Amino acid sequence: MSPEIIRLLWQSCLETFYMVTVSSLVSFALGMPLGVLLTITGKGHIKENPKVNQGVGAVINAIRSTPFIILMVAIVPFTRWVVGSSIGTTAAIVPLTVSATPFVARIVESSLKEVPHGVVEAALSMGSTPLEVIYKVLLPEALSGIILGLTLTVVSLIGYSAMAGVIGGGGLGDLAIRYGYQRFEEKVMIATVVILIFIVQLVQSSGDFLSRKTDKSRL
Amino acid sequence: MIKIDNLTKTYTSKEGDIQALKGVSLYVGRGRIFGVIGQSGAGKSTLIRCINMLERPTSGTVTVDGKDMGALTGKELLRARQEISMIFQHFNLLASRTVFDNVAYPLEIQGLKKSAITERVLPLLELVGLHERARYYPSQLSGGQKQRVGIARALASRPKVLLCDEATSALDPQTTKSILALLKDINKKFDLTIVLITHEMIVIKEICDKVAVIENGRIVEEGGVLEVFTNPRTQTAREFIGTVISQHLPPFLSEIGLSPVPVDSGKLLVRLSFIGASAGQPILAGAIRAYNVDISIIYGNIDSIKDTPFGTLIAEVSGKSDDINSALAYFGRQNLRVEVLGYVP
Repeated sequence: MSPEIIRLLWQSCLETFYMVTVSSLVSFALGMPLGVLLTITGKGHIKENPKVNQGVGAVINAIRSTPFIILMVAIVPFTRWVVGSSIGTTAAIVPLTVSATPFVARIVESSLKEVPHGVVEAALSMGSTPLEVIYKVLLPEALSGIILGLTLTVVSLIGYSAMAGVIGGGGLGDLAIRYGYQRFEEKVMIATVVILIFIVQLVQSSGDFLSRKTDKSRL
Repeated sequence: MIKIDNLTKTYTSKEGDIQALKGVSLYVGRGRIFGVIGQSGAGKSTLIRCINMLERPTSGTVTVDGKDMGALTGKELLRARQEISMIFQHFNLLASRTVFDNVAYPLEIQGLKKSAITERVLPLLELVGLHERARYYPSQLSGGQKQRVGIARALASRPKVLLCDEATSALDPQTTKSILALLKDINKKFDLTIVLITHEMIVIKEICDKVAVIENGRIVEEGGVLEVFTNPRTQTAREFIGTVISQHLPPFLSEIGLSPVPVDSGKLLVRLSFIGASAGQPILAGAIRAYNVDISIIYGNIDSIKDTPFGTLIAEVSGKSDDINSALAYFGRQNLRVEVLGYVP
């Protein structure tokens, strides 16, 4: 491989890393509170509220059912409003985040719902406020499951980021398409796939490790 | 300490309303252990949750230590709950916290300083016998140990009332006894008022002062435990008592086929029940000497109800019929309950 290709590979790695890291962090930050909201407004939970629950649920379902490649072009005006441009690596972060946030919300919701109702009831019986139930009971008890869910989110974002080339986002997936596929440079194709496999493995095993470390229910 | 007045709770659902409580009134005195026994679905779970307003009653009032629980505002209710602790059938410990941190939880939310928390948690762990397990996680403990953590956690906020929701139902008989002993101990030590719900009569028998039998959302029988045990008025109460003290004849006796009328040279079979003081008296020997009858014991069972001995004997009495009648009258005068079962052919 020529030094030029190696430089391109390295640059693409950085782009992928940038897109995935920022969109992961922002979608965690936005998705977690949404997941908490979905949980506590659910039936029989501490702030049961069918209207809020169904309203938020409907928006989340709508975003989740839109294919990513369509979502990416459909929200171009929004992207331009947020980051000032609709093309480039930074611009790709916006649709990535928009598509990952509902995913995080659902994953957090399903983890929080795993916390036995009795534990919440015990916390309430001791005089906990709803906020204390969330911060001291629900989130710590569900932490290990949430970590697994976030790992899943990061892995999907790595996959979605490959489509960022459509709006000039760059990254490893874009490199594989342009050089590996369109220019028949097999080696580039193989290199990107190997790098992606390696990254996904690394993310998944770190996630598994952290999840095991925080799971005190099986010691 | 706790006054429940004409409490009702109706759950509404699309399939129709379910009346879980249909007008329950109870009074629990300070420092008492009050048991509510009932089958699953009788409403006991709803009843105990109405005491700390985990369930809002549909109508009626609950007064705890002079406070009308239903009338408290959000903050007042949270404060009131700190004085009414609860333990649960499935312990409901926080799996992500150590034993120490579980017991510390109620103190944390009350805003106590770390040092003050440690000062309170350690003696409690000592009390429940788990001071060496402070750094363990709940998943590393046995069921009985988990319930001990639950009890320590419940005591941390120095409550006036302890609610026990089927606290021993998930435990084996041996562990149940040790948990009940612990409850009895803390009841005395802290002058703690305990309300417990259960479907196990042994729990009532071991530690309760008073018992209420709940069926279909209503209290059908209520009274001192000894009184209900020795003189149950409802079928439900009799069935529950039958689970701990056998009311049936031993099988070999029912197989003989007893005759209800005297038969030639037949022996009379009686069941004698005795409570408390009379249990220690040589009454049978007295009857044999005074009335010239023979008595042989066929079957006997002595038990205790919260430290009061309670026994039943099935005995064969033989002799002249006049003598037998005099002996039975003598038993009655000695405060034994006499039940004629029939004549052995």
